[in-house]
Amino acid sequence: MRVILSARPRKNPFIPVEAEGIVPARFLQPAEGITVAVGNRDRPLTDVFEVAIEGTATDAAGVEVVLRGDTSRVKRVGEYMEAGKIRVERDIGMHCGNFMSGGEIEILGNADGWLGREMRGGRILCHGNASHYCGSGYRGEKHGMRGGYLEVKGDAGDFTAEYLAGGEVIIHGNCGDMPGVEMKAGTLTIMGSCSRPCGNMTGGTCTILGTVAGMLPTFRRAGTAMRESGGISLTRFEGDVANRGKGTIFIRDWQYTL
Amino acid sequence: MTRLLIKNAYVIDPLNGIRGEVMDIAVKDGWIVESVHDGAEVIDARGCLTLPGGIDSHTHICGTKVNFGRYMMPEDMRAGRTQRRGVMHSTSGYSVPTTYGNSYRYSTMGYTSVLEGAMAPLEARHTHEEFAATPLQDTMANTLFDGNWPVMEAVRDRDVKRAAAIVAWTLAAVKGFAIKLTNPGGSECWGWGKNVKCIHETVPYFEVSPAEIIETLIRANEMLRLPHSVHLHCNNLGVPGNYQCTIGSMDLAPDLNPDRQSLYLTHVQFHAYGGTSWKDICSRAEPVAHAVNRKPQVTIDMGQMMFGKTTTMTADGPMEFNLYRLHHNKWSNHDVELETTSGIIPVYYSKTSVVNCVMWAIGLELALLVASPWQCLLATDNPNGGPFIKYPEIIALLMSRRYREEELRTLAPEALSRITLPSLDRELDWHDIAVMTRAGQARALGIQSIGKGHLAPGAEADIAIYPIRVDETDPSRQFRDVIRAFQKTSWTIKRGRPVARDGEILVEGTNKTVWVKPKVPDQYDMGKDPEFARNFDRYYTVRMSNYPVQELYLQRSLCMESEAQL
Repeated sequence: MRVILSARPRKNPFIPVEAEGIVPARFLQPAEGITVAVGNRDRPLTDVFEVAIEGTATDAAGVEVVLRGDTSRVKRVGEYMEAGKIRVERDIGMHCGNFMSGGEIEILGNADGWLGREMRGGRILCHGNASHYCGSGYRGEKHGMRGGYLEVKGDAGDFTAEYLAGGEVIIHGNCGDMPGVEMKAGTLTIMGSCSRPCGNMTGGTCTILGTVAGMLPTFRRAGTAMRESGGISLTRFEGDVANRGKGTIFIRDWQYTL
Repeated sequence: MTRLLIKNAYVIDPLNGIRGEVMDIAVKDGWIVESVHDGAEVIDARGCLTLPGGIDSHTHICGTKVNFGRYMMPEDMRAGRTQRRGVMHSTSGYSVPTTYGNSYRYSTMGYTSVLEGAMAPLEARHTHEEFAATPLQDTMANTLFDGNWPVMEAVRDRDVKRAAAIVAWTLAAVKGFAIKLTNPGGSECWGWGKNVKCIHETVPYFEVSPAEIIETLIRANEMLRLPHSVHLHCNNLGVPGNYQCTIGSMDLAPDLNPDRQSLYLTHVQFHAYGGTSWKDICSRAEPVAHAVNRKPQVTIDMGQMMFGKTTTMTADGPMEFNLYRLHHNKWSNHDVELETTSGIIPVYYSKTSVVNCVMWAIGLELALLVASPWQCLLATDNPNGGPFIKYPEIIALLMSRRYREEELRTLAPEALSRITLPSLDRELDWHDIAVMTRAGQARALGIQSIGKGHLAPGAEADIAIYPIRVDETDPSRQFRDVIRAFQKTSWTIKRGRPVARDGEILVEGTNKTVWVKPKVPDQYDMGKDPEFARNFDRYYTVRMSNYPVQELYLQRSLCMESEAQL
């Protein structure tokens, strides 16, 4: 089953829409019952989106939701999603894929902050850039992403994969400040550059193929390694020593100044 | 303004000696009066238990540490969300809800006055700002003096009058209500990574002991003629074997005030542990309760612990660090310059934990073993022992032996040999509960004089009407009905206006804050004392002139003035 949600033009397109109801499983029942919050008002989903449904499905895995039009302010899409697929044709708002445990989200444009926050499983693929806190834990949370696969083809903002506790995060572009801070487990790969990675790391593996600025002095150099794909020579660091951490960072090039 | 007539109410009003009479209550302009003329709004309370509005004498609902609890616990914020509806704001949170969440839930349970258990003077503004957003209760704030440098200097110099003068200036400046001592001396030690184990150890540099701080401030408190007594969170909280320290602290209290206690010990459940370690912890509620029974000058509150998820937050920084070492979960640690500390961690109290089962039993044992309900008040040290929404369950546990037995069967079996609860037959009656949830608090806090905690003409019209027929209910067997009734009032009346009906909030409301201003002779006015001002400007990071909380922070302000005898 394909559910096509086309965003209707809005009088004020800057008012955020909280749409935790947009998960594939929810469309096994009639879409009329779904509400979204536009600002502080509850509105039926059909007020904000034109809904077109093609075909049928017996379970959530057989449902594909397609978001069209301006969805850059639509938040919490795919929250707690367990199966099925969501395809976003343009940009998506904050908190896309919160807590998702299965299924797949594909974003053709950019993603706003908190993409895949605290996700437990499933896959997210973002073809554009992701904003801050991609794959991280919410403020005050001890565990960020715990499982699953999150890939961003463009750049990511600050605090990418903060509190990472499992799963895999791949950023093809650059990251902002402090990626992988408080990392506990899982793997984080940054193909581009970043600054001050992995502070307070206690476990897991981080690989950075660009240049690290402001490398933290609390990581101990522990030999070199060769990256299998591409044959790039990397330096291995262990730490964060300040936290008696047992994490590993592989870095191609670094400087201690910011 | 409003006139209201509550008809056929079954009233228990301990402060006026009413032990259950059917009567009418007339209300005019927010106060209870002899009678009202026709045309008043009538509430028929037939078959309903009608009590003065509930008072919580120790809770943590407003201020910096509560707010930090909200900040560090997003999972708690996700629990218990309600949407905006009518006059109600949206709320969220379970153990540390938003201010409106606290206010609505208290009001639904019939509570109309609450005392914030610990306000750091330096951070008082934040507390008052949150009070302003707690519209349906009158609020008071205990003000922390446990590690206050000028006070400790006065204690070292054995100058009770100077200590009293500093307290007087600070209370009036920060719009506080009473003296709170949280682990006295221990918070200053924590600045050095240390703690005090009991009342006779010394604090570094100041060379004073917790016992000296407590004794001096009890006498200073009575010199200032403050409505409430010193409010003490004893040293060595939550450590097996700490009951002796608790009894030792009680022994420090002289009997100085004929109207109320001279020392209020809070959340005594956390201070009545026997044993030497977590492995052999056992209940020592019995000797503690007997000590209370021997001392009319002491009042305690239970600090009952209830199973489930909650957040612990206290100004006792070192204790929270010990908890952190047990749990290895989130921890917040905070220093308030020159004054105190604080710490926060989330906890889960489980029935499979022997320690938690013993803690649960100790609180109930204290309430059942203290002979006079006036001396043991009902509280959970919200949210440390459990969120206040558990009060109805505690009431039922105290009223029903059968309910206790039912619960005891679900506990970790090893706990049973370490507690005396299974052997206690006492079941409290409706009057005892009325004392432990409102009248006792009003007397202990000294706020009868402003019309709190009773229903005679002249009292403030704070009334809770619970949907339960006292004459037809046997709380011993029908404890579930008791829980249900105390969870949701039929009517909660605040300042003469119905504010909640069957769990629905009816009005927006405005908060009133009660604070104290002792009038001291000119030579004891710390605002004009050169040494105090010099040290203030030398050590604090704020200017003395910026320190006091302006009255505009208080929506409705009730200042209780007293003539200090210095």
